[in-house]
Amino acid sequence: MTAALAALLIPLFTALGLLLLRSRSGPLVILTSLATLAAACWALVEVTTSGPQSLHLGDWPEPLAIRFQLQPITALLLVFTALIHLLVAVYAARSRHCRTRDTDYWPLSCLLQGSLNALWLSSDLFNWYVTLELLGLAAVALVALSGRKAYGPALNYLLLSLGASLVYLLGVALIYGRYGVLDITLLATQTEADQSTRVAFWLMTLGLMLKAALWPLHLWLPKAHASAPTAVSALLSALVVKGPLFILWRLWSEAAPVELAIETGPLLAIAGVAALLLGGWSALRTPWLKSLVAYSTVAQLGYALMALGLLMHWQLPALDAALWLFVLAHGLAKASMFLAAGELQATLGSKRVSALRGTTETMPVAMFAFAVAGGSLIGLPPSGGFLAKWMLLEPMLGQSEHWPWVAGILLGTLISAGYVFRVVALAFDRADPVPPDFKPDRFAHWLAMLPALVVWGLALVSQPLIAWLTGATP
Amino acid sequence: MIWTSLLPLLVVLSSLVPGLLIFTLREDQVRLRTTLNLVGAVVKILLVGLMLWGVANGLEFRFAVPFIPNGDLVLKGDALSLQFVTLSAVLWLTTTIYAIGYLEGAPLRSRFFGYFSLCVSATVGLALAGNLVTFVLFYELLTLATFPLVVHRGTAAALRAGRIYLAYTLGGGTLALLGAVLLHTQVGSPAFIPGGYLQATLGDDRVTLTLAFVLLIAGFGVKAALFPLHGWLPTAMVAPAPVSALLHAVAVVKAGAFGLVRVIYDVFGVNLMTELDLATPLLWLAAFTILYGSVRALFQTDLKRRLAFSTVSQVSYITLGIALLGPIAAVGGLVHLVHQGMMKVTLFYCAGNFAETLHIHKIRDLDGVGRRMPLTMAAFTVGALGMIGVPPVAGFISKWYLGLGALEVGADWVLLVLAGSGLLNALYFLPLLYRGWFGPAPTHWPHDEKLGTGRPGLGETHWMLLWPALTTAFLALLIGILAGTGLSPLNWAQLTVNMEFDL
Repeated sequence: MTAALAALLIPLFTALGLLLLRSRSGPLVILTSLATLAAACWALVEVTTSGPQSLHLGDWPEPLAIRFQLQPITALLLVFTALIHLLVAVYAARSRHCRTRDTDYWPLSCLLQGSLNALWLSSDLFNWYVTLELLGLAAVALVALSGRKAYGPALNYLLLSLGASLVYLLGVALIYGRYGVLDITLLATQTEADQSTRVAFWLMTLGLMLKAALWPLHLWLPKAHASAPTAVSALLSALVVKGPLFILWRLWSEAAPVELAIETGPLLAIAGVAALLLGGWSALRTPWLKSLVAYSTVAQLGYALMALGLLMHWQLPALDAALWLFVLAHGLAKASMFLAAGELQATLGSKRVSALRGTTETMPVAMFAFAVAGGSLIGLPPSGGFLAKWMLLEPMLGQSEHWPWVAGILLGTLISAGYVFRVVALAFDRADPVPPDFKPDRFAHWLAMLPALVVWGLALVSQPLIAWLTGATP
Repeated sequence: MIWTSLLPLLVVLSSLVPGLLIFTLREDQVRLRTTLNLVGAVVKILLVGLMLWGVANGLEFRFAVPFIPNGDLVLKGDALSLQFVTLSAVLWLTTTIYAIGYLEGAPLRSRFFGYFSLCVSATVGLALAGNLVTFVLFYELLTLATFPLVVHRGTAAALRAGRIYLAYTLGGGTLALLGAVLLHTQVGSPAFIPGGYLQATLGDDRVTLTLAFVLLIAGFGVKAALFPLHGWLPTAMVAPAPVSALLHAVAVVKAGAFGLVRVIYDVFGVNLMTELDLATPLLWLAAFTILYGSVRALFQTDLKRRLAFSTVSQVSYITLGIALLGPIAAVGGLVHLVHQGMMKVTLFYCAGNFAETLHIHKIRDLDGVGRRMPLTMAAFTVGALGMIGVPPVAGFISKWYLGLGALEVGADWVLLVLAGSGLLNALYFLPLLYRGWFGPAPTHWPHDEKLGTGRPGLGETHWMLLWPALTTAFLALLIGILAGTGLSPLNWAQLTVNMEFDL
């Protein structure tokens, strides 16, 4: 538990330190990020060897205490967060095109990491509210770093995020009024499927779906993610939207009454299919590169939502593995894709997809990173995205009454292939390539490639990973 | 690990590693790139030779790593896979030489040869795949590796062809994946075995088994260019000639056909196929595709497009042979996998030589080309006569066995299809030969590139373009003439079929 606490506190103190010292030092953040990664890895080792642990802040007894809980999946998410944060920090410090070098990006990104780690570790409804607010504020401030043109989307994001928090809080208040506890394990033993519980859970779900940009409450995401600086887009898409999703998963798989979960599951799963199709459709249509990547986030979250909905409906814990594999694979692929897209558009001096003509010649590494990451989003074997899709398909195809859901996956795959290859095919166009404004930044391109290679490399550890995820999730 | 378990992996790596290295080379490092290409190709042939020797002596080559629950990644050298692997290894060597000559001085050669090697690695992986999960994996990787080759020229037509190619193959790949998962949920993914591993679950669930069969056939049928899934193949003709040769003779269409073979013989098995009556619709579809492809070929004015529709027709001979579900027809189908590869690759090399040397793309421009390029035209003639089924070229052997096989299982109408297709083949190939040998040669070739010496004979074109065509034409003759001996593909196919039918 000490290690997990360290993973939470190091970024928070770094953020505070940077603010107090009026420093905006990238290298310092990279160092502390390394320390966080080490702490997170240690926590992972600890939890694998000696099982889940929990900590009562201030040693208060159960119903009053704020409890931090370290489960295997939490530890994995800590490591995942630290990895992505570190990668993006190196990019932000080194890339010529990253406009965040001496800005508030550094303290804010540390704050973001700290609040996200707090979210993973928390296990009561109100604590989650606090971390969500922190996370939302840090994310909004990061989007606004882009300058004047991002103020609109950032403000939009802020208002919706605050509104979503209020809706969530209302649900929390209803639960507290009804049961008098907020801790999720205590709640799990008490909840009944009555009217007020139902309303409370639906309100919380609504708020969280808005925060996680789950269809149909996703409309703020494409603009916000596309207008943010590249490093921020990567953080937001890879990490931030996964926070509310995590809470949603804990709520429904642990605290909610089973009847209620079975009843609500199909709604979420259908929303997931809709996200896949409509998000994918928008990604096919948009003329802007970063919007395309952002819409693909909306679409890909559809897979996760589908896994969650079906997990609730069929009460199948096996789908946990699918859900978290989607989260990991999408996070890695999306970080890679946003970094590549940012580099491509900054080097070409145009934000349009059509500007990518001939980039396989002018910037092969960045384009290859984009394509490799895209392969995982499509779910081509043996990438991480494929493993997740396989885990989701297996229970679907296993019983003939579940077969209709397969159509969602089939269409989702084809539409993702559509928007990924829309870009990749253009990159092979030799007719009139757009010449780059600057010399390509090789280091940044390889940095973008790295997570894409990792997500395909998951194939090498797939069997232990799946076994671990299946055993690790409660 | 002992060497027998590493060898299948090495066979895949022998082209993968050079391929990845080639990506890192600069355009001007021609010598190093050529060396890597050729060393990879030669090493692969040696390794495959070793494996052939081993399998003939009863050794087992199996490499496995864990992948997903109940589904390992398995590479395994058995009689059936070696037939395809050997074909790929031999034709990779000739096509590499051809491509080096073809692309001399062209831009982006590192990218081209990099993907070229990846493509062959995927093909070999697919051939060696020991279970359905591994097969589907390499099937998708093959799509990814060939796409950059199809769009290599980067023109509007190439991009359009690439998009169509992807739409078909990724769609097919997804269907095949669904079929594989569906079977996986029933019985896991055990190794391919002669006679099929689903037999144990016979009668368990007809709906599931039929659905899985339809999904797999639709998925693999895309690459095998079964009607109505063949639309990508003629448009993919815009690719450079070595790519067309590879796509049509070895990698892509054969991957599809080989997938069908695996599904029918090693997953479902002959007994289950008969029990569920799954083969009849496939047989009709194959017969229709044979005639349809030939008829369409007849009306093409572009040389490469005519060859493409001829491929549509010829690959369905393989499907026809295995869908007949009799041992003799199976021999015909399996051996045609090799025979069609040799003959078709020859035809594409020659078409590429005409286009590169004299800028001949249309059939009407072939007049008198035999006097300017007699050796290429001779190779072309061997390939075309083989396609028609004239003895002693290899194609005759396949048709003979297919006909006998059809009679054996009582499907006499197939003979009519074979005869009709042979007639159509003659109708669309003989005019080419006539034009080439007897047509009036122009007094002066308008676009003569003067590759080589520019005179008829061994210098009629670049030697790296000429020799591969002569070699494969010679091989197509040789395997036809030596069909009765122990070393021929025919003998090897018989060996495989004896195992499949437990004879």
